[in-house]
Amino acid sequence: MDLLALDPTKFIDLTASGVCFLFLVGFIGGLVSGFIGSGGAFVLTPGMMSLGVPGTVAVASNMCHKFPKALVGAIKRFRYGQVDVKLGLVMAASAAVGVQIGIRIQQVILEKWGQVGSDLYVSLSFVAVLVLVGGYVMRDALRCARCGGVETTAPLALRLQSIELPPMITFRRSGIRISLWFTLPVGFATGMLAATIAVGGFIGVPGMIYVMGVPGLMASATELVIAFVMGLGGSINWAMHGMVDIRLVLIILGGSLLGVQLGAIGTTYVREHMIKMVMAVIMLIVAVSRGIALPRYLVKLGLMDMSPEMLDVLGKISFASMCLALLTGAVIILGSMWKGRAAAREEAHGQA
Amino acid sequence: MATQSARKPWGKTIIFGILSAALYAGVFAFADTIAAHFAQGSYWAAGPIATVFLFSYVHGEFTGNLWSVLGIEATRKPARKTETVGKPATVRPAARRATLNA
Repeated sequence: MDLLALDPTKFIDLTASGVCFLFLVGFIGGLVSGFIGSGGAFVLTPGMMSLGVPGTVAVASNMCHKFPKALVGAIKRFRYGQVDVKLGLVMAASAAVGVQIGIRIQQVILEKWGQVGSDLYVSLSFVAVLVLVGGYVMRDALRCARCGGVETTAPLALRLQSIELPPMITFRRSGIRISLWFTLPVGFATGMLAATIAVGGFIGVPGMIYVMGVPGLMASATELVIAFVMGLGGSINWAMHGMVDIRLVLIILGGSLLGVQLGAIGTTYVREHMIKMVMAVIMLIVAVSRGIALPRYLVKLGLMDMSPEMLDVLGKISFASMCLALLTGAVIILGSMWKGRAAAREEAHGQA
Repeated sequence: MATQSARKPWGKTIIFGILSAALYAGVFAFADTIAAHFAQGSYWAAGPIATVFLFSYVHGEFTGNLWSVLGIEATRKPARKTETVGKPATVRPAARRATLNA
């Protein structure tokens, strides 16, 4: 009989409420991921930590649920003709380099300024990237909505596609031909962001749309390929260090596989600008959430003065607003699907 | 409508549903022991990776079929027309209707 015991410092006792919470967040995170290609990780990791899971186990378990979810979502969307596998693999290769550099930067910051400095760097990156990129995506989504949901190729992407800088790569599925040198920075930035805030898709998807000229639908689906490749590599690494809690992974996966399929189906009902809209809304709310969390790190670094009670309240507001971001995204997706289904039914009825 | 419901993958949903439930029951009956083994790292890393691949197939098939049975399936979308510059690589393909149930 095997007497190997579970290390209580690494693995929590599961409670019914904890299981329900993880399943539900898994479902909503899966729904958002299936629709926009990423999301959920920014709530799941702190969510697990709030249940008492140590940070490293939370990150490892989150990553280990992410890659099979991305695989299922990518297969589903591939069947809808939305995935560019070649583009996904090229992006994943450069993203892997970005991840390594991102980890190295984190290590340097950790050595120089400690854990607080590292947390501040992560939060500042969150706020800066999400406000800038999220704001731009939102502006474009609103413009698209005003023009009846018709998506056009971004001027920067058109310009870059016209530059003949060998080696040129043709991505048949996406319908673009572009120099490899312009794809590398996008993949690299995706990896850097993934290593910093764990959601590389927040730069990968807009990067593919606005820098490379990939349609929004195709970019969000291809992001799932990148997430699978990077998630698999990261999970093997974490699992070799024994940091994956398979119980948590399977509970989250139970919900997220339901969600990711629904999100993927949802993409076939909505106009393309809705993907940008959902992504921008989530990014901007998450940016606010991280902004609210900033004073905690500034106080620890001695750059600001605030009472512990106030910091505690801000921490709770920050986490609640992150949950709100995910929930808002889910509501928009389900609402758009509902409308899309009603319109499709009406159209079918009219033709009959 | 009648033909649509006749094509609903009830059989697959039930089979994969039972398999998925059995897998979850099997793992969670020995959850602590399995988690402790997988936490040893090194070659045990294959354990969680293989487990999630197995679950993603079985549970993924179940969930995909479940949505179909519930009448939630993909619809046809038109292709997006975009501007092309220089040598147009290819014509952007139309998103196809899903024909499989996964």
